[in-house]
Amino acid sequence: MANTGGGAYSYSLTVFSPSGKLVQIEHALAAVSQGTTSLGIKASNGIVIATEKKTSSILIDDLMLEKVAVVCPNIGIVYSGMGPDFRVLITRARKSAQAYWKMYGEYPPTRILTQEIANVMQQATQSGGVRPYGVSLLVAGWDGTRGQQLFQVDPSGSFWAWKASAIGKNMVNAKTFLEKRYNDDISLEDAIHTALLTLKEGFEGQMTEKTIEIGIISVPSTAEREEPTSAATGRPKATFRKLTEEEIKDYLAL
Amino acid sequence: MSIMQYNGGSVIAMVGKDCVAIASDLRLGNQALGISSNFQKIFSVTDRIYLGLPGLATDVTTLRELFRYRVNMYTIKEEREIQPETFAHLVSSTLYEHRFGPYFIEPVMAGLSKTPSGSFKPFIAATDLIGCLNFAKDFVVAGTASEKLYGVAEGLWESDLEPEDLFETISQTMLNAVDRDAYSGWGVVVHVITKDKVVTRTLKGRMD
Amino acid sequence: MNSFANRFSTTDHLRELKRAQANIEDDEFSDAAWGSEAGFGSLAKGVPTFSVPAVPDPSAFLRLHTDDHADPKCRIKIQHGTTTLAFRYKGGVIVAVDSRATAGSYVASGTVKKVIEINPYLLGTMAGGAADCQYWETYLGIHCRLHELRNRERISVSAASKYLSNLVYSYKGMGLSMGTMICGWDKTGPAIFYVDSDGTRLKGDLFSVGSGSTFAYGVLDQGYRWDLPDEEAQELGRRSIYAAGHRDAFSGNTCNLYHVKEDGWHFIGNYDISKLHYDGPDNVDGAGYGYDVRVGTRS
Repeated sequence: MANTGGGAYSYSLTVFSPSGKLVQIEHALAAVSQGTTSLGIKASNGIVIATEKKTSSILIDDLMLEKVAVVCPNIGIVYSGMGPDFRVLITRARKSAQAYWKMYGEYPPTRILTQEIANVMQQATQSGGVRPYGVSLLVAGWDGTRGQQLFQVDPSGSFWAWKASAIGKNMVNAKTFLEKRYNDDISLEDAIHTALLTLKEGFEGQMTEKTIEIGIISVPSTAEREEPTSAATGRPKATFRKLTEEEIKDYLAL
Repeated sequence: MSIMQYNGGSVIAMVGKDCVAIASDLRLGNQALGISSNFQKIFSVTDRIYLGLPGLATDVTTLRELFRYRVNMYTIKEEREIQPETFAHLVSSTLYEHRFGPYFIEPVMAGLSKTPSGSFKPFIAATDLIGCLNFAKDFVVAGTASEKLYGVAEGLWESDLEPEDLFETISQTMLNAVDRDAYSGWGVVVHVITKDKVVTRTLKGRMD
Repeated sequence: MNSFANRFSTTDHLRELKRAQANIEDDEFSDAAWGSEAGFGSLAKGVPTFSVPAVPDPSAFLRLHTDDHADPKCRIKIQHGTTTLAFRYKGGVIVAVDSRATAGSYVASGTVKKVIEINPYLLGTMAGGAADCQYWETYLGIHCRLHELRNRERISVSAASKYLSNLVYSYKGMGLSMGTMICGWDKTGPAIFYVDSDGTRLKGDLFSVGSGSTFAYGVLDQGYRWDLPDEEAQELGRRSIYAAGHRDAFSGNTCNLYHVKEDGWHFIGNYDISKLHYDGPDNVDGAGYGYDVRVGTRS
């Protein structure tokens, strides 16, 4: 039996250590904190989620790299940690959102979707033959009942709502930075700038529109909410979208 | 003899000005034999949504419990009251789950939905027994007297009726339609839903 | 493509049919030539004749296409739901019927006269095919009158009913549908005969016919006595039809009540069955046949 590191308890996921820990989960968190920094800020009229996009070689075509993902028209997610694990989770989240739409004819509220993902992640801490997901997520969403909400989900499957949070390599510094900069009536525009400044703090190398990704929630006005679907397509109007490289470039220039 | 006519019964819902009304008969039969004159087919889902379930009586009870369960789970999980549009989709999905062995019920829904600006909008809908949604702007009907209800409603209904006038219209529609249907009747119950209250009245109908 | 064959063949179906129709129409002069004779135009030949489908076996053809209890999947729909009753007692015969006509689940009429006044001494009730009952009982009336003229004496209920039963028997299997009670008062006193389209003819004191008959029998049986007073006998008939109208989906609307006495029949009244339920025969608010358990909560 392996007796190094966390001892006999460190491999068997479903067994508590005598001190009451599931050591594998702590290892998963360690994997997250080696991942690139991501952050999210809830503003008075929206949310911004942003992340650093790092490529290990200049030869890699970053076209395929996507760290901020759209789940459904009102929800987007960013992650820190293991890319493949995120890909699995985002697929589950999208399926879950569509299943909800099929059942109720509308997209899920942020908390419901977050809970679905959190349940998937929790299952991986209790099932045999699997390991926990090596990612933390920041879920940004808007719904008619609760407005804009920002959630963080950890490998353990626990989740909380934040006004602003950061995950990944520089999370401690970034959070301290956000604590200093945050106020309750910050606007979305200011929040985007704060997000860029926060990322810059621990950024390795050049920060360009190619090396960061940004997603925003913009809260619709009451008038916009009266017409929740696009007249042209008949589909729900999106409240979450990713910023284009041009838009990011403009923000970086300011 | 269709299983949809085994127990008999009919439901209608109508839109008014800032109000909706839903009415049903009270008969429970076993084919031609009348069994009960106090068989409720309309149930409240929330304070502002009412659901009528005409069709096979055993499925009335089963579906009522199933929707109660699903709406309760929704309310607890989502920490909010279900809206009529959402509920209509829930009804539709639930029925389609049984596409190849359906519940013999054609639900009718009536309610007021909250708009983003905080006001209330009348909402009615009906589905067939496998969940095909019909969002009408005037009235919806279902049950053994549905053809007769269409006829009378087509003649009596007008737009923007105040609650009292809507009550009169839906009552007369129901009473006269069920008198032409052998499997419906034995009394009528009417619910008029407005933003701050629901008025329920039981009407004397022909007892033959 | 078939025109050549049609033109020259002597055995194709179309020709057969045309020849058959021509034969029927060429039969002396048609009734229409003498103006309407209300279907009784061919009385001179005794029994009225009807054109039957031009097929080798008309009765098999009709059985296939008309309402028959041997085949519930009927194509020519005939009114079925009904409650009719008649009973004999010391004071005569009470005849009571409902007035609902249904086509499937549709209540086609609520004001049907299901008692056919054959003549001032004879009543016939109507269950099954409305047209069949109406036509043949009217026809029976003609023969009863002819009997009177020939014999200077009124026909007995027994003879009248037998005439009818023999008549319908000759059409057996061709889709006639009737269940009727021939009621009257003759030399033997009050009499009731049940006659149906199968050819059944029964003498009896008490009959009820139709989809609501079971409900009517229930009330009738528990209240029936030979020596009922007239008032109570009428009330029993009314109450029995009410019970059937209430419980049976295919019976209802109103009750027509007749009393046959020595001097012929008397129409007692027409009663709304819903009014009987709420207010009773004397129209006293709340004094109806319906009981509180069922109607107490109604506003």
